[in-house]
Amino acid sequence: MITIENLVKHYGRTAVLDGVDIEIADGESVGLWGPNGAGKTTIMRCILGLVRYEGSIRVHGIDAKRRPKATRRLIGTVPQELGFYDDLTIRETLQLTRRLRRAPAERLPLVIEQVGLEQHAAKRVRELSGGMKQRLALALALLDDPPVLLLDEPTSSLDLASRELMVRQLEDLRGEGRVLLLCSHNLEELAMLVDRVVALDNGRVVEECPPSQLADRLGLSSWLHLSVAGGDEARAHELLAAKGFNARLNGHGVLVEVSAQRKAVALGHLSESGVEVLDFEVWRR
Amino acid sequence: MIRLWFAGLIVGLVALVVPTAEAAEGVPLQDIVDATPSGGVVTLDAAVYTGPVTIDKPVTLRGVEGTVIDGEGIGNVIEVNASGVTIEGVVIRNSGDRLDKEHAGVSADDADGLRVVDNVFEDVLFGMFIRSSRDVAVVGNVIGSKDLFVARRGDGIRLWQSSGALIEGNEIGDGRDTVFWFTDDITVRDNSISNGRYGLHFMYSDNAVVEGNLITDNSVGAFLMYSTNLTVRRNTVVDSRGPSGYGLGLKDMDGVEVSGNRFEGNRIGLYLDNSPSRVDMNHTVLNNVFAFNDTGVMFRPSVKRNSFSENAFIDNTEHVSIDGGGQIDENVWTIAGIGNHWSDYAGYDADDDGVGDLPYRLDDLFSDLTDRHPELRFLLGTPAARAIDMAGEAFPNLRPEPKLIDTAPLVSTPDFPEAPSARGEPSRLTVLAASAILLLVAGAIVAAARPRGIGRVA
Amino acid sequence: MSEVDTGVEEQVGGEGVEFRLIRVIVVKVLQESLRDRWFWLYTIGFAALAASLTLVAIPDSSVVLSGGFGRTGAALVALVQLVVVLMAISLGARVLPSERESGSLAFVLSQPIGRTEVLLGTFVGLGGALLAALAAGFGVAGVLSTLRDASVSASVLIRLTGLSWLLSLCAVAIGLVIGVSQRKVGAATSTALFVWFVLVFLGDLGIMGSVLASRLPVESLFLAAVLNPVEAFRVAAIVALDGSLDALGPAGTYAVDTYGDRVGLIGVGVLVAWVVAPLTLAWLVFRRGADL
Repeated sequence: MITIENLVKHYGRTAVLDGVDIEIADGESVGLWGPNGAGKTTIMRCILGLVRYEGSIRVHGIDAKRRPKATRRLIGTVPQELGFYDDLTIRETLQLTRRLRRAPAERLPLVIEQVGLEQHAAKRVRELSGGMKQRLALALALLDDPPVLLLDEPTSSLDLASRELMVRQLEDLRGEGRVLLLCSHNLEELAMLVDRVVALDNGRVVEECPPSQLADRLGLSSWLHLSVAGGDEARAHELLAAKGFNARLNGHGVLVEVSAQRKAVALGHLSESGVEVLDFEVWRR
Repeated sequence: MIRLWFAGLIVGLVALVVPTAEAAEGVPLQDIVDATPSGGVVTLDAAVYTGPVTIDKPVTLRGVEGTVIDGEGIGNVIEVNASGVTIEGVVIRNSGDRLDKEHAGVSADDADGLRVVDNVFEDVLFGMFIRSSRDVAVVGNVIGSKDLFVARRGDGIRLWQSSGALIEGNEIGDGRDTVFWFTDDITVRDNSISNGRYGLHFMYSDNAVVEGNLITDNSVGAFLMYSTNLTVRRNTVVDSRGPSGYGLGLKDMDGVEVSGNRFEGNRIGLYLDNSPSRVDMNHTVLNNVFAFNDTGVMFRPSVKRNSFSENAFIDNTEHVSIDGGGQIDENVWTIAGIGNHWSDYAGYDADDDGVGDLPYRLDDLFSDLTDRHPELRFLLGTPAARAIDMAGEAFPNLRPEPKLIDTAPLVSTPDFPEAPSARGEPSRLTVLAASAILLLVAGAIVAAARPRGIGRVA
Repeated sequence: MSEVDTGVEEQVGGEGVEFRLIRVIVVKVLQESLRDRWFWLYTIGFAALAASLTLVAIPDSSVVLSGGFGRTGAALVALVQLVVVLMAISLGARVLPSERESGSLAFVLSQPIGRTEVLLGTFVGLGGALLAALAAGFGVAGVLSTLRDASVSASVLIRLTGLSWLLSLCAVAIGLVIGVSQRKVGAATSTALFVWFVLVFLGDLGIMGSVLASRLPVESLFLAAVLNPVEAFRVAAIVALDGSLDALGPAGTYAVDTYGDRVGLIGVGVLVAWVVAPLTLAWLVFRRGADL
């Protein structure tokens, strides 16, 4: 259980967090969503006591500001920027962490296996790919099976295959009374992993809801860039505009604003009207 | 040695022809001496005889191993008022301790030809105080003092107007001075003098030879004043560390030859004050070692007419300094094309003749500062002081006038005569043990930090 | 799933310093140091210089009768002042910023360990690494001195090592103050270099300037000098080597006359103060929790 009340954080004169309240129940899996700079990472750093802040954070009833060590004992974390000792091997890194966390030695082979690093245990951290580092971070977070996991963009540096693997591993960690707090700007990923999304913008909570409702609630949209066959750009533009889409021509194709979770609707309209869409790209704002 | 043996032979022959007294224990020594005829020999047993005793006729007191003459803390242990007395092979102990009365182990007046040979002086204020006695011999004695603060002790040997003395092979420790007043034509040879105030002190005493002495751990090693025609050679003077810790100090001296000596670890190796004092006099300082002294040679300002050759200046904090600053350019550092060895000489010897091709110039900027501001000596040897010297080397216009220029520096140390050695055996084993401990510590720390260290199950 | 065990700490109501955790950091820092090429560069450089000083500075025993370690010792003292202080202060200054830059500090502090434990562990770890470096250097010098017939005394060797270590601890503590207040390794390194320069050169040069300009009284000169840890070390080391400061002119004589045998202790005391005070300052700054 995590209770965050009136969390305020300034970097200089800039307020990064401006009165954030979040309540997370036991066993709940919550996503922090928002654009870069919204304050997601800062919340995690506040919980870990890595930065100074105003307001109060309690983790399982422990005041995180007064007793940062006891708080961190409850938390496993996968930070966004992974920092390890480059000269240590995977095994040494795990052992160092195990001793810091007082985790039992038997856990070590278990977590190595859990994240699939058995083959690489003797490699130095500096030799690892981004994906392997991410998995190492997860293994470290799971070492003493803590009741709270903080995951900051855990899939950001991964290729497609690794990302799928990571998502599957994270799915397995949900439930069982464990609190999962996940930062992401990827709504699709959050939809798979969390019960509830807290949307942040400019250091404030702007919305709290299940991930499936977020796009609608916030009126989120994306832009699609369409390539259409046979010089039909002008027609496609007219058709979309007629259907109420915000669309415009742009050099080689058509740009159309679509609802974030109903991107294919625009394509459907065009194909019904006989405009052949050869290709599309999602342009985020 | 031969001389000793010869002297012993003569004494023996005399003993055969003169009456001899057998002394018995318990009898006061004075009674025994009184009972001995003039020219007699008193042979003492291995026993304790009580003093004090006055000898006023030519007799010989001869002890054996274990013979003790105990003054019982009253005045002088033995007083001699006659010529031709010999005191030999006894332990002389327990004089009075009145410095104003000059209580001594042997106190002699008008005792020409006095011989004090192979005795041990214990718990005496002065060892020997000898006045107005010609041609005395003080040979082979071990002379201690009383356990008092150094200024309250007496002198190991004090001679007053007693010319022609031979002071040889004595071991003098823990006293105040070994001092000669108005005492000409003496020889001070092969003595060891330690832990006193003035190891040797000459006042108005001319024509002396001081050689082969080992003078260690005194406040001042040898201080020679107001005397002429002294030869100081092959002595070793080490660790004179008193407030004016001169290895050898010369004040108002004329006609001194200083050669073949080792001055090591003194506050000042050689101190020159108005010596030579006569304008027609030149001194040579030849073939000495000045090593590890705070200052190798210190000149009082305006000291002139000293010539230095074939000396080795090794790792003195300052080789040469001028007390209060000034110039010493009327002294000479090269004689007949032979200069001195300087351990910090940075020149070269391309023609391989043993003489450096560049002159040695003593012109350290920092030494120049300390000559003028002695309190800056506190920073001697600091990186900042070295930086000052380097600045002087890099920027010649900062460089002071050189204190001295040796135009023919010796690139290696010249040969030196034998001199008594102050050094005990270096305790290599304990140093090796200490080094081993240090290396073990280093190894243990490295071992503790092996990767295994982290892996160990806590 | 482990129990939510808040442990003893909640009952105590505070967060005690755990020796166990300090030890983990100590071992980690030692390990990092021994893998740091700068550390090896300094260590090998120091050992080589100490060894060559021992061999070169001891003259031929056929010329010089008494032991020559006094001079070697003096040269070693200057070497320690220059090299060891630079090594220790830059190690101390670099360690925290470099961990900050690499993110490993955030990683460690995300674990259940306090900042006090991290700082103390880092200090002790660096202290251990420096002790290893110094012990190796002086050990090698000691062994070589026996080859060259120099009567080094074992106690002088040990005391010189101990004093050098104490000085290096001062420099590490000062370095840590720099490290907790600088975020970038580059800035920390240049600050460390500047502080080293002040301690080793500017302090003494300032004293010289004062003497030349205003005839500084000897007691002020002694005080001004000995308050500098680098000078306090030299004073204590000279007492250990020669037994007395009287070689150091009027100010040295003043110190001996005024403080007698306690001069060496004064040096040691100043050194200890220069360990404790900067370390406390570094702790206060670091504990306040500058953002990572």
